[in-house]
Order: sequence, then C-alpha cells, then structure tokens
Amino acid sequence: MRRNALLGALLVALAVVVAACGSSNNSSSSGSSTSAAKGINVNGPGEGKLNVVDWEGYTDPSFVKAFEQQTGCQVKSVYAGSSDEMFTKFTSGGGGQYDLASFSGDASLRAIKSGAVAPVDTSKLTNFGSLAPQLQSPPFNTVDGKHYGISFMWGANVLIYNKDKVSPAPTSWSVLYDPKYKGKITVPDNPIQIADPALQFFGQQNPYAISQDTLNKVVAKLKQQRGLVRKYWVLATDFEQLFKSGDAVIGAGWPLMTNDLRKAGMNVGEVIPKEGVTGWSDTWMLSNKAKHPVCAYKWMNYATTPKVQKQVVAVTGYSPANTKTCPLLGKTECNDLHVTDPKYYSSIKYWQTPTTPTNYRQWTDAWAQVKG
Amino acid sequence: MSARISRVLYAHPRGRLGLLLGPAVAWLLVFYIVALVLLFMTSLWQQDVFTAKLIHKWTFDNYKKLFGEGGLWMRIYGRTVLLAAIVTLVDIALALPLAWFMGRIVPPRWRTLMFLLVVVPLWSSILVRIFAWRTILGSQGLLNGFLMDIGVISHPSSAFLYNDDAIALTWAYVWLPFMVLPIFTALEKIPDSYLEASRDLGGSALTTFRRVIFPLALPGIVAGSIFVFALTMGDFVAPQLVGGGSQVLGGAIRDRFGVAADFPFGAALATLTLFTLVVFLAITRRSGALENL
Repeated sequence: MRRNALLGALLVALAVVVAACGSSNNSSSSGSSTSAAKGINVNGPGEGKLNVVDWEGYTDPSFVKAFEQQTGCQVKSVYAGSSDEMFTKFTSGGGGQYDLASFSGDASLRAIKSGAVAPVDTSKLTNFGSLAPQLQSPPFNTVDGKHYGISFMWGANVLIYNKDKVSPAPTSWSVLYDPKYKGKITVPDNPIQIADPALQFFGQQNPYAISQDTLNKVVAKLKQQRGLVRKYWVLATDFEQLFKSGDAVIGAGWPLMTNDLRKAGMNVGEVIPKEGVTGWSDTWMLSNKAKHPVCAYKWMNYATTPKVQKQVVAVTGYSPANTKTCPLLGKTECNDLHVTDPKYYSSIKYWQTPTTPTNYRQWTDAWAQVKG
Repeated sequence: MSARISRVLYAHPRGRLGLLLGPAVAWLLVFYIVALVLLFMTSLWQQDVFTAKLIHKWTFDNYKKLFGEGGLWMRIYGRTVLLAAIVTLVDIALALPLAWFMGRIVPPRWRTLMFLLVVVPLWSSILVRIFAWRTILGSQGLLNGFLMDIGVISHPSSAFLYNDDAIALTWAYVWLPFMVLPIFTALEKIPDSYLEASRDLGGSALTTFRRVIFPLALPGIVAGSIFVFALTMGDFVAPQLVGGGSQVLGGAIRDRFGVAADFPFGAALATLTLFTLVVFLAITRRSGALENL
C-alpha cells in the first residue's frame, strides 16, 4: 500500500514536470516558473554569480560590494541607455544571459507578455510588505494577480541646468525649444522622449496613447528643437560630460545626473517644470531562464532593504519604493523624495509602451525622422 | 601509426587537400555564408513590435520602407556614402606623401621604426582614440584653447565637435594606418631606375608622379580605399561619440538591433550596406587594380 502511494506521488511529480515542460515550450506562458520559484530556498547558498542588466547607479559598488561579501554572489552588471536597449539585451540570444533586469514600466509589460520574465513568490520577498501601497501591485509589474518582480525605485525626468549659465531659473520646458540656448541643449536619444512634448505642449494627459495627428505635431516640434540640440545623450555619463565640458548648459535628464554633477562640484539646478513630467517606476524582474535564481532573490531582497535603498538614493537621487527608508533618510529628505506621498506619485506620467492609436514602431520611426 | 597515416595521405592528394581545407571551409560556411543568408532572410521577415518576437512571414515591406518614408533612409544612406568617400579621399591625400616619406626618403634602417609609429595607434582601443578627439575639439578643448590664445576667436566655438565634420575628421584619423600601409608597400617596391629613366627622358616631377609613381602606387591606393571605405560604411562608434544628431548607416543599423527591436529593418539596412560594398569592390575590380596586388 505504502509502495503504491510512493508510485502515485512519483507519477504525479512526473505529470507536473511534463506539464511544466509543455508550458515552457509554449514560451508565452510562464506557469512553470512559479512552481520553480516555490522550490527555491532563498536562505540557502547562492550560485556564486548574478548577471544583471540595469540602469546606471543601480549596481553601484558602494552597496554591491557588501552584497557580494554577504552572499558570495558576484554581481556582473551591464548598463542600458534606454528601455529598449535593456529589453533587447535581456531577450537577445533567447534570454538567459541575464538573471535580472531593472525594467521601467515601458519595458516591464513587454517582458511579461513576451514570456521573458518569471512570476516571483512574494512570500520570499522579505521587504514586499513595506513597499509603498501603490508599488506593491502596480499594473506595470502585476498581471492577473501574478507579481513579476519587486518595485525598486522611481522618479521623474527633470529639467537640469547650469546655474552659472542659465538665469533666472527656468520654470517651463519651453527653454528646451528656446533659440537663446542654441547649441547648448541636450536631450535623451530615446524614442519615448516623444511623450514629453505630447504631455507638455499638446495637452495629452495620457502621452503614451496619442493619435497619428498628435504624433505628427510632436515630430514637427522636435524637429524645431533638433537645430538647437548640441547632442542627444545616450548614457548618463554622456550627459554629465556635456555639462562638465560646457558643451551643454541645459537639458532633460534624471536626478542621478544632478547628483553626480553636484558631487563633481558643479553648480547645477533641477526643476520639475509647470507643464508636468514623465517618469519611470522600476522593477527588478527575474528572467524566465535565470541561471542564478537564488542569487537573484537574494539581490531583490537586499536591494529593497531600507539601508540599501538609502544608499541607492545617495547615488541616484531617485525615490525609494520601501517606505521604511524614511526613518533612515530623515524627514526633510523623505518629503523631498515624496516617499510616502501617493498624490505626488500619481502626478508623474510613467513610461509605458505605446500600443494604440500609434504604436512603438511608429514612435521609433518618428524619432528617426526627428534625428534625420 | 603516424607513418601509416602519412602514407595514406601521400597516396591520396585529394584527401590531403580536403583535410587541410575542410576546417577553414566549414568555418567560412557556418560563420560567414550561413550568417549572411540568415541576415538576408531576416530582412524579409517581420517582428512583433510589442514582444519583439520574429514573425517568419515573408514580406518586402522592409525594402519598401528603405526607399519610402519621405526619403529619410536614402538621405542617411547618401550621407554615409558621401562621408565614406570624403574620408577615403582625405586619407589618400594624407597617406601618399607620408608613405612616400616612409618608403623612399627615410633611410632603410629607420623604416621599421616608421612602420611601427604608424601601427602603434592601432594597439590602443578605438574608443580611446575617438575620445582623444573629443578632448581636442570640445568647447574647452585644445583647439579652442589654441585659437583663443592666438586671438582668432574670443569665445570658445562649439562648431568643431558633435557634427558631421567631427565624424569625418575622426574617421580619417582612425583609419589612416589602413591606407598608409598598403601604399607604403607599393611605393617601397618602385625601383630607383624607373624614376631616373623618367628624369632622363625629360619628365618633370609632376609628370613622373602622374605617369610613373601614381600608376605603380594604384594597387596600394585601391587596397587602402577598400579598407577605409568598408570600415567607414559600417562604423557606429565615432558617430555616437563625436557626432551630433544626424544618423549614419552604421548607427541606424545598431539602433534597429540594439534599441528599436526592429531586426528585419536593421537587416535590410545591413543588406544595403553589403550591396554597396559589393558594388564598390566590383568597380575596383573592373579598374584592374586588384590584379596588381
């Protein structure tokens, strides 16, 4: 009798494995990984390695070293300049080259829909409960009740200017179209940039769902700007070099650059102009073919602890997802970063992948038209 | 055992040849021909814009797009070919006197050193060499500093960096060794007696250059041009680092693969690049210069 039970259990296990294989062949479904994730012992020893593709500053040595010492997982990270680059790197060669990516909202849904990422077991994510409520199950990383990763940092695309060269302080995005700063402007070399003028000058409250007509108007506006732009930046370091060498005095960037430039002794200002801002909300996502899932879970847990979140803030100037970071940051900085302010959070138009009425291919083509 | 193998191979020259060439041919087939065929096939496929999955359905849309869109891609193509042509001509103009100096004026024992000086930059990373131009041409760069010191300009000019001229200049610099070396080899081989004969027959310096030196240097010039033209057509590093906004073919292809997740159109652009290089090679072949290599 006992023998039969054992045999039955074996058969059931076999059936589960077969079913799992079937669905992973399907590649669009990720059901197999949920069961795989359940079997992971995140407290056990790691695989010794962790490959990630992420944004600049997200794997800074100032907190990665301690992680490597604690867990024995050696972190190898590659920076991406845009969401598309991150997505392409992550999925190239069938995926599996990277265990984790720090996808923004415009890439995270693409990653989920294409089956490149696996759902995570939130019971194994030690800091999940202390994330800001709006970041626990946001639509860009939670689909059909399944959580694909853990929210990490968020922030706005801001206007950055050299205080020694630009005065008075700008309050409007229109300075980036002002001939006064011809040859001194830098903006991202990124098709998602189309959303900015759509929101700021053409009144599109959802700047990621714009008509062909609006897209044409935006392209005309951006072509005007093209003549004033010194250089379209790709990596944050490009932006910073342009500012340091004086080749640019004003531009659209991330708080990371303001932080870095101030550390380098430059007198730069950062503004959230009155027309509103686009932004990003990033999630650590686990590859469906992760070779080092234990290390990946260890990283997701480590990176969302209040202590490390504070260290990421120090490097990037972005807002942390974990509200328990606030006591460590102090009241002023916590308020400045709007960590526990859902109203401010919802005022930012977070990056999304445009699908309709104009889709992302049309945006990349339009961007190519702008650059010429 | 080895004696037996060598006996068998000695008796079968075809087997010998097959063993010698087999690995090389297999390598060429797999990594070159198959890759090219795949590239061409990709250019006839489609890609899902949201999930970035390739859809294996045949279409000519990518080639239609190449010639459509208000001529955007043809303008980029034209700009790239023009830049490549300019860079090639500039490098010929720079390399001819330099190679002449190295190959004929410098005493033979110093030639190895000259040769080394030309090759040494190739040992450093191309990124470093391109970045060097950024520090030379930038607003606070050496060139601006120099021009302000001698009083030509009063404010730093931003006209030197982040535009097409800067790209052309950088390319002309980084590819120069590929032009100098083949011309050097060609010029070094010219016997002194040819030049003496030309002079004896009353040929002026210009006539000697036109009728004797240039024809003999032509194979080297053509070989160098093939290198420089091909390298320029495909490069995306220099445009990204010293260019402004306008795109070149290499950068556009990189963007399609690395950023836009539009592999089929990127493949169509790459096919266009390859086609251009094949045409360029055919022209040089017809000129007969390749036979003298």
